[in-house]
Amino acid sequence: MTQKSLQTTELRIGVFICYCGLNIGAVVDVADVADYARSLQDVVYVKTNRYTCADPGQEEIRKGIREYNLNRVVVAACSPRMHEPTFRRTVSEAGLNPFLFEMANIREFSSWCHPSTPEKATEKAKEIVKMAVAKVRLLQPLDVIEVPVTNKALVVGGGVSGTSAALALAEMGYKVYLVDRAESIGGHMAQLSKTFPLFECSNCPQQNRCARFSCVATRIGDVAKHPNIQLLTYSEVKEVEGVIGSYKVKVVKKPRFVDESKCVGYCNVCVEKCPVQVPNEFDAGTRVRKAIYMPFDQAVPLVHTIDKENCLYFKDGNCTECKDVCEVDAIDFEQKPEEITFEVGTIIVATGFDIYEPYELKHYGYGKYKNVVTGLQLERILDTGTQITGELVRPSDSKKPNSITFIQCVGSRDVEKFEYCSGFCCMLTLKNAVLLKEKYGDDLQVNVLYTDMRTNKKGYEELFSRAQDMGINFIRTKLTNRKVVEVPETESLTVQAETENNDPVETQADMVVLATAAIPSKGSEDIARTFNISRGANGFFMESHPKLKPLDTPVDGTFVAGACQGPKDVPYSVAQGSGAAARAATILSKPKWKIEPIVAVVDPEKCRNTKVKCGICAERCPYGAIEAPENQPAKVITAMCHGCGTCVAECPADAITQKHFTDDQIIAQIRTALEDNPESKILGFLCNWCCYAGADLAGTSRFEYPPLLRPIRVMCSGRVDRDFVLEAFSRGVGMVLVGACHLPYDCHYINGNERMKVRMDTLTPMLEKLGLSPQRFRVEYVSAAEGLKFAELMKEMAAQMKELGSDKIKAENAKLKPILDRMLARKQQRSQL
Amino acid sequence: MAKTVSKSSSKAKAEGKIRRTINGAAINLQRTPPLAPLPQKSEEKLRIGVFVCHCGRNIAGVIDVKEVAEYAETLPDVVYARDIRYACSILGQDEIRKSIKEHNINRIVVAACSPRLYESTFRKTCAEAGLNSYFFEMANIREFSSWCHLNTPEEATEKAKETVNMAVTKARLLEPLKEIEIPIIKNALVIGGGIAGINSALDLANMGFKVYLLEKTESIGGHMAQLDKTFPTLDCSICIEGPKMVDVGRHPNIEIISYADLVSVSGYVGNFKVKIGKNPRYVISENCTGCSECKEVCPIEYPNEWDINMGVRKAISVPFEQAVPLVYSINMDHCIECYKCVDACGARQAINFDQKLEEIELNVGAIIVAIGFESYLPYDNPLYGYGKYYNVITAMEFERLILAAGPTSGKVIRASDGEKPHSVVFIQCVGSRDIEKYEYCSGFCCMYTLKHAVMLKEKYRDGVQVYVVYTDLRSDFKGYEEFYNRTKKAGVHFVRTKLKNRSITEDSATRNLIVHAETEGGQSVEIEAEMVVLANAAVPIYNATELAEILKIQIGANGFFVECQPKIRPTETDTPGIFLAGACQGLKDIPYSVSQGSSAAAQAATILSKPTWIVEPLVARVNEDICSGCGVCESVCGYDAVRIEKIGEKELAKVTEGLCRGCGICSATCPSGAITMPLYTKAQVVAQVKTALEEVK
Repeated sequence: MTQKSLQTTELRIGVFICYCGLNIGAVVDVADVADYARSLQDVVYVKTNRYTCADPGQEEIRKGIREYNLNRVVVAACSPRMHEPTFRRTVSEAGLNPFLFEMANIREFSSWCHPSTPEKATEKAKEIVKMAVAKVRLLQPLDVIEVPVTNKALVVGGGVSGTSAALALAEMGYKVYLVDRAESIGGHMAQLSKTFPLFECSNCPQQNRCARFSCVATRIGDVAKHPNIQLLTYSEVKEVEGVIGSYKVKVVKKPRFVDESKCVGYCNVCVEKCPVQVPNEFDAGTRVRKAIYMPFDQAVPLVHTIDKENCLYFKDGNCTECKDVCEVDAIDFEQKPEEITFEVGTIIVATGFDIYEPYELKHYGYGKYKNVVTGLQLERILDTGTQITGELVRPSDSKKPNSITFIQCVGSRDVEKFEYCSGFCCMLTLKNAVLLKEKYGDDLQVNVLYTDMRTNKKGYEELFSRAQDMGINFIRTKLTNRKVVEVPETESLTVQAETENNDPVETQADMVVLATAAIPSKGSEDIARTFNISRGANGFFMESHPKLKPLDTPVDGTFVAGACQGPKDVPYSVAQGSGAAARAATILSKPKWKIEPIVAVVDPEKCRNTKVKCGICAERCPYGAIEAPENQPAKVITAMCHGCGTCVAECPADAITQKHFTDDQIIAQIRTALEDNPESKILGFLCNWCCYAGADLAGTSRFEYPPLLRPIRVMCSGRVDRDFVLEAFSRGVGMVLVGACHLPYDCHYINGNERMKVRMDTLTPMLEKLGLSPQRFRVEYVSAAEGLKFAELMKEMAAQMKELGSDKIKAENAKLKPILDRMLARKQQRSQL
Repeated sequence: MAKTVSKSSSKAKAEGKIRRTINGAAINLQRTPPLAPLPQKSEEKLRIGVFVCHCGRNIAGVIDVKEVAEYAETLPDVVYARDIRYACSILGQDEIRKSIKEHNINRIVVAACSPRLYESTFRKTCAEAGLNSYFFEMANIREFSSWCHLNTPEEATEKAKETVNMAVTKARLLEPLKEIEIPIIKNALVIGGGIAGINSALDLANMGFKVYLLEKTESIGGHMAQLDKTFPTLDCSICIEGPKMVDVGRHPNIEIISYADLVSVSGYVGNFKVKIGKNPRYVISENCTGCSECKEVCPIEYPNEWDINMGVRKAISVPFEQAVPLVYSINMDHCIECYKCVDACGARQAINFDQKLEEIELNVGAIIVAIGFESYLPYDNPLYGYGKYYNVITAMEFERLILAAGPTSGKVIRASDGEKPHSVVFIQCVGSRDIEKYEYCSGFCCMYTLKHAVMLKEKYRDGVQVYVVYTDLRSDFKGYEEFYNRTKKAGVHFVRTKLKNRSITEDSATRNLIVHAETEGGQSVEIEAEMVVLANAAVPIYNATELAEILKIQIGANGFFVECQPKIRPTETDTPGIFLAGACQGLKDIPYSVSQGSSAAAQAATILSKPTWIVEPLVARVNEDICSGCGVCESVCGYDAVRIEKIGEKELAKVTEGLCRGCGICSATCPSGAITMPLYTKAQVVAQVKTALEEVK
């Protein structure tokens, strides 16, 4: 079906007015509105329907388009939030471009909210129809934008959530590149001796409660074997270019100085020969490794790596012990970084967390007293493996301690350090406390210093109960004023703390374990920059929406999973990993990705970034969808644009247009609304998702309010240009309302409402200075659930308007008009330069 | 893809081992070759290979693995035996493959860890070496020997030898088997239209799969649609969930089946047959435009359960304005059949008083269970006075009170006098963390209480005193602790008490309440308040057990569904093709439920995206010549997998391969010995018994 081209032909507008049974018809005089619509310019056909949304009603529209050769359609009925998609489909079935359609909401905004003033409701309905006709005249046909999709994915991070993501995608049949900067995949979970809440592990494939063997080893083994997964370890993503559907990725593989294709992993002769010993990072420094090493026995890939920093060959070139003994000639001191490039359609970032080392929190004595260790170090001490017994010994004398004290929230829940809670430390401590108590019984006194025990996931509280029954000593103290002091003779420690009532508490322990904070992993800043994602106040990556889009980021096609988004335990990370895979698969499963054409476009002629360093649009875009290279016009990356229109309102040169919500279209709506008796009207710019929805709810709930509002729907309040407000007052409007989502998090476009606020905060004092009564310009935040609030707001504004009186309003307007007109004209001139 | 797979694997085979090389951008990954063709039962001579794993020190630290290998070599038919450092490693597997070739081995025994862990891995290894993958047997000498006999290494070694001998015995009698392929129906059923189910449905639908979304109430939305604000951002719940609900309603790939119950589920992964009972709404969905004219004229009002019975709804109505689908229903318990609604509906003729329960049948490939949770109402605990004192309410009641669109239009008022309370006490852990009631923690109550406390404070400022009686404040996720701090700054009083010895009494004159509690130090605390809000436990849906039986999934001690593996497979169940999401698996907040919703969708998609599902050939086989058709097998099978059917002249037992789980009960029960369980045949097991009881040489 060919869609009619409309540039050249004359405007032929059809208006379809709905009775909605009695819903509209009982209040609004629909026939009168129809007569009025007929009188409007360019309207060639008007039809009333009992139910426009029902099949016969839709058929009327299709018939009208065909028989009267309509090229624009207005349906005056209910909220566009309800049936706009329905009618867009209807008009396109009749061969009209779906974007040549506009809805006039005369139900929620008129009949339902003004039942006791039918005449005024009819009047309002007429004007709403007139505004819709004014807009529809200027509408342009738009086509859904399609971008190609490469059905491959990049997963960054080979921890438990990254591997879950990679496996799920691979199992769905997509090719996955899994990049990990470490020598082996496996992440932090590989470092854990056991996992919690172990006693419920009845379904564990191996009932030895062991994290590494049963969970991680199996999983990373599966990853290694999967034909759809390409593993790139010891590698980092250096560059990402492109948008959803086609990201070009550049990965740099660091030199291991060991040929992965030759090394046989287990033979270990190189390790035995290597003369250098350094602390092993994998063991959190509790044990040593050689300069040629493998982080752990089950590493994937199973190859050795030479640590250039410590290798003697790289110091003086003399030692070649490893090379000499290697039977397969795998050692290659000449290895260079290798660059690998590929293209993917989506990206999942799952880069995990780091454990905070509290050297700077002097009162804990970490790094000063030998027997103060972190929780991670304890994990490594307790781990069993090749030639590791897993016996509890303290670092100072390698003897079993008779008492151990765990201190919770070290660095976490500390406003001076990390305000947030690290989420899993309580469980990690409980697990180790229980394991140790089980193993050593009365031979080991176990104390836990805590503030709130946070065991609020499946099976966790049960473990806490069990721990209490076992005779583990739980001591509740305040988060502040805790201190560890060493007894020099015995190298044992005294832990001092305070109860809630400020009573001092003191415990003696041969060993102290600090539950230190989980912090954003090293290099998170660079990762954020590479993938163009943002970080929250605590440095973890920001999701698109904390509730409903926890796995999405503002960058379409890029997702986050696991602890890099915020600390979380293993099952949660796994769920997020495979969850992110599902999100990615919604893109990868399509040959093309469709984008609503309501996007912003820059007129390069008007953009002043070519002359001055502007870039305001690029800076203010919540999605980073605009590029403004120096001396070049700004450019919108269509595939990243969400169509909020914030940039359009921010552009000082009016060089950006939001399709379907152009300046011309909105100005036409403003002017039309204010043709008659403007001083008695409230012009409302309402954001689609919250305030407009709240107004809809006021209607649906039949909250009656005075019929003064003339609504203009925008997708986001961020679209509301200062000029719209100026234009309205210049046209003599009584009051202006900008209705937005609540600050700060309700905005459906991240922070469009904040941008609007900043803009309006500067406009308000200016208008007041020019003599505008402050009541006449309002910025209000109304949620979709606040129908009552909206109705109350309308009542309040109407009362204020009455109080001001139309004479005062007119007088103020008369004074304002010349100034505003000058401002608007100047702006116009500037933008035409 | 398939082409490259076979190509690279044959190349790898030619080299004798599989290597993973990284050269520039081109990376040769280890590929899994296609399964070896099913060989005919061979007459060839048995040539058994035995590999004894060190598992680092895990086995070798206790057992003398060299000795075990030497012993194995002496056993009849064993042509090759050796010890190996890590049999499961890539290198170890290489070694096994190499040995198979070099020594022309045709049966493999690996003595290592539990077969529950690595059996599938080694089967693949065998297949890669060109052997039938079921010519493999595992001897568990780690969990069953080295790890459990640490202090008696000699005896452990002896036991390991015997375990190996038994495995060799079985290996001699192994038969070649072939995996079974099952076709997959590319539809999914999501049970439960709360926030987890909505996300599962949307993700699957957006991947291109057809989704049926089954909801037992009149509208999707779940508990989230009842909430005013969500923590910790205080954003409006319906503002964010509403658009998602609309997306579901409009999605061309999603069919919402609301006001309907799950009746039965049969079949198996890829091929489930689901029966659903659609309850009569007495309104024809297709004809209803949601205009609400019927509601306007309906004269009957009854308490709205959506508002926890604090508000009312009409006998013909929708539970809330944003309902999806926006279809009215008549509550026949309250309808007086005045037919005013019929007149109001008029020409649309949407009302039909003759509507009956309708049973529909669906065929789906995967099922996601996301039925959520319920709230415990503490009527049975007299200490809290719930149901007795006017001004003691539950958290959800408070939520509906403070919600702008709720029954009081957002005014928090006391039931006793309709006045705004000047002091409110929130009591945490009511029913939760109580071994007498629900031992578990309900997970999200601390956070919603903080939310309620902040909302109250922000709404009435100094006009209300807010107390939170708690034991451990659990604010352990992104932004939660910060919200706790904000609550403290807002002037909310936190009173830490013990979980036990808390009670409420009422001042009968003022209807005010006195909350009694005890601090950790044993001091008693008393707070007088005009209103008390109980953070009552979240509990499994009342018919969760029944649903678990229908779905044949496991239910845990607390009544929540049991996942397949709590760490790395949290959204899968033990039944292939059935997945879990959201609070029905364990209580969790919205973002976690959303993540799990997507996760379950991903797991379901791994099935739906495959052309066929491959299952182990561990399926009972009936020898039709011996079967008498007595039907004992049918009566003992827990999975409806064996049925007596008329085959030709005779009535015979027939096994549905997709349903059989390979438990072998039928085989053990069959009086005529007509049913064989492959891999656990009578001959094999008896031989193992004999070997186990032989004298050791």
